Amino acid sequence: MDGMAASALAIALVGLGLWTLVRRRNVIWKLLGLNVAAGGAILFLVAVAHRPHAHPAIAELGPGPSADPLPHALVLTAIVIHFATLALSLVYVIFLTERRHSQDVHKLEEER
Amino acid sequence: MSYAIGGVVVYLVLGIVGFLVRPRWLCGALAIAAGGASLALWAPGFPEAVLGGTGWGVSVAGDPLALGMWALALVIHGTALLHERARPGAFHPLLTLLLGTCLATVLSRDLFNLYVTLELVSLLSFLLVGYEGKSRAVWASLQYLILATVGMTLYLLGVGLVYGKLGTLSLSSIAALGPGLSAPAVAIGAGLLVAGAAIKGGVFLFGLWLPPAHGYATTGVSVVLSAVVVKMGVVVLARLSEALPVGPILVALGILTGFGGLVYALWERDLKVFLAFHTVSQLGYLLIGFGLGGPAALGAVLYAVAHGLFKGLLFIAAGQAIETTGEREIAHLADRLAWPTAVGLAVGTWAIAGLPPLAGFTAKGALTAGLLLPMKAVLVALSVGTAASFAKVIPLLRPGPKREDSSGGVMILIVVLVGFGLWDFASRPELRQLGKWAEAAGGALGGYGLYLLLRRVRPRLPRITLDRATVVALVGAAALAAGLLFLG
Repeated sequence: MDGMAASALAIALVGLGLWTLVRRRNVIWKLLGLNVAAGGAILFLVAVAHRPHAHPAIAELGPGPSADPLPHALVLTAIVIHFATLALSLVYVIFLTERRHSQDVHKLEEER
Repeated sequence: MSYAIGGVVVYLVLGIVGFLVRPRWLCGALAIAAGGASLALWAPGFPEAVLGGTGWGVSVAGDPLALGMWALALVIHGTALLHERARPGAFHPLLTLLLGTCLATVLSRDLFNLYVTLELVSLLSFLLVGYEGKSRAVWASLQYLILATVGMTLYLLGVGLVYGKLGTLSLSSIAALGPGLSAPAVAIGAGLLVAGAAIKGGVFLFGLWLPPAHGYATTGVSVVLSAVVVKMGVVVLARLSEALPVGPILVALGILTGFGGLVYALWERDLKVFLAFHTVSQLGYLLIGFGLGGPAALGAVLYAVAHGLFKGLLFIAAGQAIETTGEREIAHLADRLAWPTAVGLAVGTWAIAGLPPLAGFTAKGALTAGLLLPMKAVLVALSVGTAASFAKVIPLLRPGPKREDSSGGVMILIVVLVGFGLWDFASRPELRQLGKWAEAAGGALGGYGLYLLLRRVRPRLPRITLDRATVVALVGAAALAAGLLFLG
């Protein structure tokens, strides 16, 4: 995929995810939207690594230019972090569902 | 450098070992000792070095800001440890890991490394805020994680944009390139980086998750969050302003958060949420100082330490008051506090109102020295507002008949706060002028007058909900990015 196309797709994913985060009232939908947005940010880092006519950043694939390996290293870290974040927040959603019997933001926000 | 990194590693390892060892607080206490030894070995600082050794690695440096934050984090960890020493389970290991991550954050000079440490700080504080399993705290905690992740997603996009254009993640290499904002990628990237750090740091209109999360957490956690963790966003903003030309933006954000937090604090009735809104407001001083740079930035470092000490003291005293009486509303707590709690609250209030000779006064003096008149007027207005909002705490300072055991956390912080204030006061002869004292006293009296004026006013402030907080954070981020693009 071309660098520009990947960047455009990444930004579209971020927009879509954030739109879901803001519009949906269900917490699980919100978290899914957030995860799509985070995935977009990660894809954006991959797009940044793009160099024209380069092969993937693996040593045996040379000669010739390779894609920038540094953003790929960052992407690995970011994926792990987002996995941990999503998993932990879902645990809290389970907890709230058991206690408050609702996943609706407006209900959860009522004073108790 | 190796001493500081060693300190961080030992802290984190002891945090993990702490899950296995009893008593639970033991590894935390060992970590504080190790951190103190490491701090003593690397103080007063070390120049920037690359961790990793092959030329590829993470830049770290020990500057006055890192020094101050380390000292503050160790003192606050000790206080929280003492207050919560009986707490079982994963509490103390998580707390140790959180503080260790904060120690790492302030050393780092790398855009992506800062992202990783900030995310780790978010995850650990998220676990600690909801630790007791009260559904209000769990909900506050979930709101916190959602907004922090939004902020960090924007930050990551900013990292991508800046790296794509400049080809480096090291803040000092970026500063050496001297990037203007003329390149659209750098301008938008800088806007997103600042917005992301502002959301994470709880800056007003960006990070409205802060008041419920800090207000409903357990006492020890509130102390650590408000004194140390909230500064991590500010540290990242300060680092960004060293590399990218975003100083004026920080000043503008500082004025916004100073007054925004203050307006909510003036009419908040829940004691801990009130203190949390004050944290939002006090971030203003720090952002203004770091945004202006130079001597004001050093003043901001002092103020960050001073604020950590007195806000920690206020939170621990408030927490004790709420734990012993079961009441959260300020009006219901009058005349009911035991004397150690009341004294703690009084000393904290005295310091936050900027009255001499405590740390609030000396740090404010260092921050305002040499500022131009309009900026000084803003800071004076903030002080008056702070005093006005704290006037409603005064009825709580009369000790009630009920006695209680003090945890000792209050005492430690009183001693450190007074000691730090007196040391700073002794080292600044310019603060011994009668005019400065009169200014401080006038500010406090003006604040009391403002409180009497505003007592009858009851405005309906917009309620902060998750959706509203998310939308204003996103709109603010877009405005920042667009504004920087326009300026460049």
